[in-house]
Amino acid sequence: MKRRRHVGPIEPVGDGTFVINLSEQDRLTMTGFVEQLEELLESDISDPRLRRLFPVAYHDDPERNAEYQSYMSDELRQSRASSIATVKELLAHSDPISEHQLHGFMIVLNSLRLVLGTLLDVDESIDTDDIDETDPLYGQAQLYGYLGWLLEWTVSALAGE
Amino acid sequence: MSFTTPQFVIAKKLVVRAQDTQVVEPDLDAVESSETDSPWIVLVWNDPINLMSYVSFVFQKLFGYSKEKADSLMLDVHEKGRAVVSSGPREKAELDVFRLHEHGLWATMQQDS
Repeated sequence: MKRRRHVGPIEPVGDGTFVINLSEQDRLTMTGFVEQLEELLESDISDPRLRRLFPVAYHDDPERNAEYQSYMSDELRQSRASSIATVKELLAHSDPISEHQLHGFMIVLNSLRLVLGTLLDVDESIDTDDIDETDPLYGQAQLYGYLGWLLEWTVSALAGE
Repeated sequence: MSFTTPQFVIAKKLVVRAQDTQVVEPDLDAVESSETDSPWIVLVWNDPINLMSYVSFVFQKLFGYSKEKADSLMLDVHEKGRAVVSSGPREKAELDVFRLHEHGLWATMQQDS
């Protein structure tokens, strides 16, 4: 077999499809996180962990915002559930995936980062790389970094860079 | 791109509004129509979690902006705390807000003043 140069985790195949180069173990791990997100999305949208996934729409008008949420939050929940279903399906195999599927993967990676970042209370002054091994949040910080790395590659692949 | 969009919800709202306008008094009608006519702006607010490359890509994908324009809007969000990313009638602004929320961006809307 011809030796291949090292490629990133998201590889454009050339016919408009993409391959996700993740080990079987990484796929299983990612699937576990995606399932946790799926479970979390069953919570009420007032759950603080979900605040970035269900933001206000009218920042200066609580009445209109309540009206908006009453007819849009279920739509948003369904849209997220649909992206999650796409991602669980594509993580279950290593076949090439479409641009649309990769876009769903991107949205789910970002959703996971938003939830983790909220739990880690990330702000401009905190660098999650500075959280050391003795910190109880170390595992979450590592995962946050990993998701960011994977998301950067996904965006580059979709942008054709 | 064919992510679930709430167009049918908005269509239903438009029907309800059209019915409403038939029964309101003329002076109230004028108020309603001026409110409907004034443009709405969609703002995206800075969030330290979202990656800069991701935010720029979402602007390009959702609004068809060039990379230059999307990067410039993204930097405005990052440096000034927020940027106006689109504008139009209320229904269009709501749809844009929804699509930005689908992508995890902190978007809100307000009537332009």
